[in-house]
Amino acid sequence: MPDGGAGVDVIVGLTSHNDVGTVGAVVRALQDGLARYAASSAVRFVLADAGSTDGTREAVREAVGPSALVEVESGRGAELGEPPYHGQHGREAALRAIIETTHRLGARACTVIDARLQSVEPEWIDRLLVPVLADGFDYVSPYYARPVAEGAITKGIVYPMFRALYGVRLRQPAAGEFGCSGRLAAHYLEQDFWDAEFAPVGIDLWLAVAAACGEFRSCEAVLGTRGAVSRGAPTDLSTTLKQVVGSLFADLERRVDVWQRVRGSRAIPIRGAVGGMDPQAPTVNVDGLMESFRLGYRELREIWTWVLPPRSIVELRTLTETAAERFRFDDRLWAGIVYDFAVGYSLRVMPRDHLLRSLTPLYSGWLASFVLQMEGASLQGIEERVERVCLAFESEKRHLISRWRWPERLR
Amino acid sequence: MWAEIDQILRQATRQIADHVASFLPGVLVALVLILATVVAAALVRALLGRALRGLEFDRHADHLGLAVLLGWPSSTTSPSQTLTRVVYWTVVVLGLLLSLTALNATIPSRFALSVFQYLPNLLAALMILVVGAIAARFLSRSVLIGAVNMQIRSARLLSLAVRWLVLLIAVAMALDHLSIGRNVLLLAFGILFGGIVLAAALAVGLGARDAVSRALERQLQEPPRGDDEVNHV
Repeated sequence: MPDGGAGVDVIVGLTSHNDVGTVGAVVRALQDGLARYAASSAVRFVLADAGSTDGTREAVREAVGPSALVEVESGRGAELGEPPYHGQHGREAALRAIIETTHRLGARACTVIDARLQSVEPEWIDRLLVPVLADGFDYVSPYYARPVAEGAITKGIVYPMFRALYGVRLRQPAAGEFGCSGRLAAHYLEQDFWDAEFAPVGIDLWLAVAAACGEFRSCEAVLGTRGAVSRGAPTDLSTTLKQVVGSLFADLERRVDVWQRVRGSRAIPIRGAVGGMDPQAPTVNVDGLMESFRLGYRELREIWTWVLPPRSIVELRTLTETAAERFRFDDRLWAGIVYDFAVGYSLRVMPRDHLLRSLTPLYSGWLASFVLQMEGASLQGIEERVERVCLAFESEKRHLISRWRWPERLR
Repeated sequence: MWAEIDQILRQATRQIADHVASFLPGVLVALVLILATVVAAALVRALLGRALRGLEFDRHADHLGLAVLLGWPSSTTSPSQTLTRVVYWTVVVLGLLLSLTALNATIPSRFALSVFQYLPNLLAALMILVVGAIAARFLSRSVLIGAVNMQIRSARLLSLAVRWLVLLIAVAMALDHLSIGRNVLLLAFGILFGGIVLAAALAVGLGARDAVSRALERQLQEPPRGDDEVNHV
């Protein structure tokens, strides 16, 4: 039951771990935004710190003041054998603590921001919180302008599959920042995914899925460029892919009754004007990606045959023999591969770690093809290309449903 | 004199008849046991075959890497067929040994007893082989996928090396458990592993010293480069 006596309208949640270098600027930008866009609202900052030792907590106390700050224990969470791709151990515990505080204080809106983000602007309050406070939206997902190779797992797997499965066009459902209503916060607390296997790495995605599957109004908010956020050593591509795709597939099993009924997808409102991309964007080594794909085909083909039909294997072989300038990964083939891996994951045709990691060369091939096609493209061009990938996923969804219901055909 | 001979012959005949009379029930029991064993073995084979088919044992065995073990002796024999045959003949042999004890003969009884005492070792050795085959399959696949994702060209070779290494260790452990060639095994493994380590040390020290030193320098001095800078999520 909410503790309505506190009289709090807005919760601004900060997740942090040794972020003393950035947290001051983040808090100031948010305070500025709150003064501009939510001046009449009673605000509490909630700090979910994962055991900082560099004075992050003290910096936040100093910046926010004791009366407006609630500190919650997020702990380090259940650490996996490998670091999470976002570098934040115990992220699920931090988000849970912030959402519980939102519910306990009876706040109308809540937003969650990573204290290490250097790109936070006062306008983020307008984009993430005002839609909830003024326009009645329940979930606000960020939209970052990202160059071709940035967020390619989201562009090529997470967004197309999320959209095809749950029918909502949220382009960056696994992003770490979001805004939500008090009603949705209460719904989140009723979910059973908080202690699930992939929760430390999949919680952001699962919150978006929970919003899409319920009777909640969602919208997107343009937040410009996100900037680099690094905590500790970056995880390798194979581990990142395993964690992100694994959490997507794990959720698939939980919500079978929802996604099998969804047909098509619907656009959602977007708040703010989309600007340009980051001109300093890192690039990928396309030749290396193609080589990785060819090596994968040569050595892992036998493993792939456990989940992929012979037709897909033949198409992949043709692709390995294609010259770089004509190297194009067909959207329908790609959608079928991702769906077949999802079915293989569900059937446990082999250890799940092996299955998910064996997807890496295929993803490398798809990414190489995507980057080659999008060379010099504008953000609009990239969006149009991703739209075609999404349509392929929507069109192939019937095969996923068919294979899911009659898995013996896969064998 | 004839009377004495007659008496001796009668006595001998009576003794033979007594022996046969005391031996016959044992033979009968042994025959009944053999018959029951054959029937029980056939029943077990039929039931096990049906259960394995229902459990899709062949598919699971293939995935677990047991097909290599259970596919023996020929590639056309399915793992479930091999397993049912093994179980069938095990039951038959055990039944025969049991029937030998019914004859009340000293040597066959001792033989049967020693076989029964050895049975737990055999089962343990079999278990070691099965676990070894599963571990070999799992580890070799882990190495293969990991090496391919690290773009190591000799990924298959590494994977095969791991597979056979684990299988060899499992076989050696099984044989050691059965007390077969214990000293020879110990020596062979000492020489084999010593040889591998020495060969690897020589190969790195003589052939790839510069490459290893460059790789170590890169690892210690430079931050991860290239694709790692891209945020894929």
